[in-house]
Amino acid sequence: MSDLDHAISLLRSCKPIPEPAVRELCYKARELLIEESNVQLVDAPVTICGDIHGQFHDLMELFRVGGDVPETNYLFMGDFVDRGFYSLESFLLLLSLKVRYPDRITLIRGNHESRQITTVYGFYDECLRKYGSANVWRYCCEVFDYLALGALVVGAGSFVGDENEECEVEVVGVGGDVVTRLKRRDDGAGLMNAANPLQEGGAGGGDGGTVGGPPGSGASGSSGGTKGVNNGAVLCVHGGLSPLVDSVDKIRLLDRKQEVPHEGAMCDLLWSDPDGNLFPLLSTLDLCHRKLTELEIDGWGLSPRGAGFLFGADIVKHFNHLNNLTLIARAHQLVMEGFKEMFDSSIVTVWSAPNYCYRCGNVAAILELGEERNGSGSGVQWSAGAGRGQGSGVARRGPGRRYRVFEAAPQDSRGMPAKKPVADYFLSFVNWVTFHPITHFTYLAPGTPKAPDFKLYYMLMNNQP
Amino acid sequence: MSRSPPLQTAPNIDVGKSITRGDWKVTTHKLPILNSTEIEAMTTALGISPPEMIFGNNSVDVTNEKLNWSISFNALDALELVDKSGESMLKVSYSEAWQKMRERVHEDIKEIVKPYDWTYTTNYQGTVHSSDRPFQQTGSEIPFDKLKRPDPILLFDDVVLYEDELADNGISILSVKIRVMPERLLILQRFFMRLDGVLFRLRDTRLFIEFETGEIVKQYQAREDTYANVRSGLYMHPPEQIPSLLRDDSFIAERLPVIEMERERVLLG
Repeated sequence: MSDLDHAISLLRSCKPIPEPAVRELCYKARELLIEESNVQLVDAPVTICGDIHGQFHDLMELFRVGGDVPETNYLFMGDFVDRGFYSLESFLLLLSLKVRYPDRITLIRGNHESRQITTVYGFYDECLRKYGSANVWRYCCEVFDYLALGALVVGAGSFVGDENEECEVEVVGVGGDVVTRLKRRDDGAGLMNAANPLQEGGAGGGDGGTVGGPPGSGASGSSGGTKGVNNGAVLCVHGGLSPLVDSVDKIRLLDRKQEVPHEGAMCDLLWSDPDGNLFPLLSTLDLCHRKLTELEIDGWGLSPRGAGFLFGADIVKHFNHLNNLTLIARAHQLVMEGFKEMFDSSIVTVWSAPNYCYRCGNVAAILELGEERNGSGSGVQWSAGAGRGQGSGVARRGPGRRYRVFEAAPQDSRGMPAKKPVADYFLSFVNWVTFHPITHFTYLAPGTPKAPDFKLYYMLMNNQP
Repeated sequence: MSRSPPLQTAPNIDVGKSITRGDWKVTTHKLPILNSTEIEAMTTALGISPPEMIFGNNSVDVTNEKLNWSISFNALDALELVDKSGESMLKVSYSEAWQKMRERVHEDIKEIVKPYDWTYTTNYQGTVHSSDRPFQQTGSEIPFDKLKRPDPILLFDDVVLYEDELADNGISILSVKIRVMPERLLILQRFFMRLDGVLFRLRDTRLFIEFETGEIVKQYQAREDTYANVRSGLYMHPPEQIPSLLRDDSFIAERLPVIEMERERVLLG
């Protein structure tokens, strides 16, 4: 058994590997990742996963539900670390699988794969606790800087399900039964129907947008008719779009090998969120007086937090159209149902941390994109006229999507750290009973003697369940 | 606009607790965060997006049917009191630098999406339903000598109403702890907010009920200090412990000066 396989088997049982092994692994991973493009090309079939956040046992559940590496081809959209109890084991397992099976697993960077964020949200503390020094944290952070910023999935099929019952969307619930099947609407308008005339505002207008050109190239030429070219691609990023990035090529040009900056395109890709409220911001009067082209600008908004962008439906549709994409898959936001499609299925949030922070009670999901099937060509020609028939621009149809929903790993298998010791419980318990008489109504200057500490007394007095 | 998946997959189990002491009934509800449909309904009701982790079905309720009095602590009512005008909006620590950059690059993007207090700060003190007996201002303390007694604790629960990670700029959490003893109970509802590099904020509501006499004492306390002040007060702690100390609301609470205090009392008996 090679060292790497040994490390993988240790990590699979949720055991940390020795510090020199981490260093070696991170070194190898960097060598591998440095060769990757900012936007990795990935062939379907692929299973797309969202945030993991150190929930190791739930990651194992994910592999149980979605298949193991290398049998299943995986794409993880970042946020491997922080918040959960096992950031280290989760990240190192994914990383060692990446080194072992580079073509079967793709890792892209989330906003938590950063020095600053991991210092605040737990990964740093965890490394310190498990190794007694920050070395392992440093090795991991160096790897973070080399992770790709996005991935482009090509060759995804248009349908899921068996030949007889081809569907656009299939939802496999907890337990493995199909709970929902949605047929593709073959009325030409596809999912981008005309329910809201604004929604197609960005899609090139009329007939000009015949789809073609390599996905993500920004070229919108005529249809080539070749498999993999004709189909739009799926862009995967952790957060979302950036006003500085109007084509996938612009992402390719970024210098990614650095700490996540507080501003700029790289930051936006990892941090921004779609927002369904952007249009209602405009008054009806506004809507009457503005042209659709102006509305596109309004599709960007500022977060009330004072930093960060929000983007609306038209931004996504416009971007998808220009870049020959049929879907943007992203993570970054907690969704109770594990996934959430927005803006007429032009973007989807995938969330893969069930019972987030061990208390939210949410389910998680992974998104499976199948392979293009031979012989079902007629069903997958995006630009073959069906969309044009409606005269509403080209209705590019999203890939067939299978969402597998799963719950948190059973409690007994998760090996949670023991409950807080009783003393701890009562300490915090006592804290909320005590009232600190001296601090009432007064500001305490630094160095002012504190009120007599009643804690110990209360602790002794109350120490019974 | 969004197409919510038509499925029921989340476990919908209430792990709350309940106890009755005389005419007093105490109930806690603990359920998963709201689903997309419920979130949309709440967004419409509130006019703002609820916090990321919204436990909209959780609550702590104390009821006395005989006296026609009850108090409930729940997320919807707490969020109603969040500033929705955007007047008291805080900004994340790097906002200024970010804004400068943005103005250089995208001066056309100006619209702040729904300005509101995105830290979800609330001075909520529970929702009281009472026929005619309002709280009165009082000088009297919660009788915590009675709480010091080593009485058996018949029910203890810790119920989160909402929590938001402030887009990884800190934390806002509103939670309710309750402790029921044979003759009395104590509730602490705590709002704790840490905006990294900017501010710490605490809003505590303590509610004491003496079952026999129907005496209810409520104390509301607001504490606040800048991040820098709190941080510099920790110089004696080893640097590697500081991140986890800054996450510990009990530890931080004692270090924040009181900026507002109210005491109220009502005698139902």
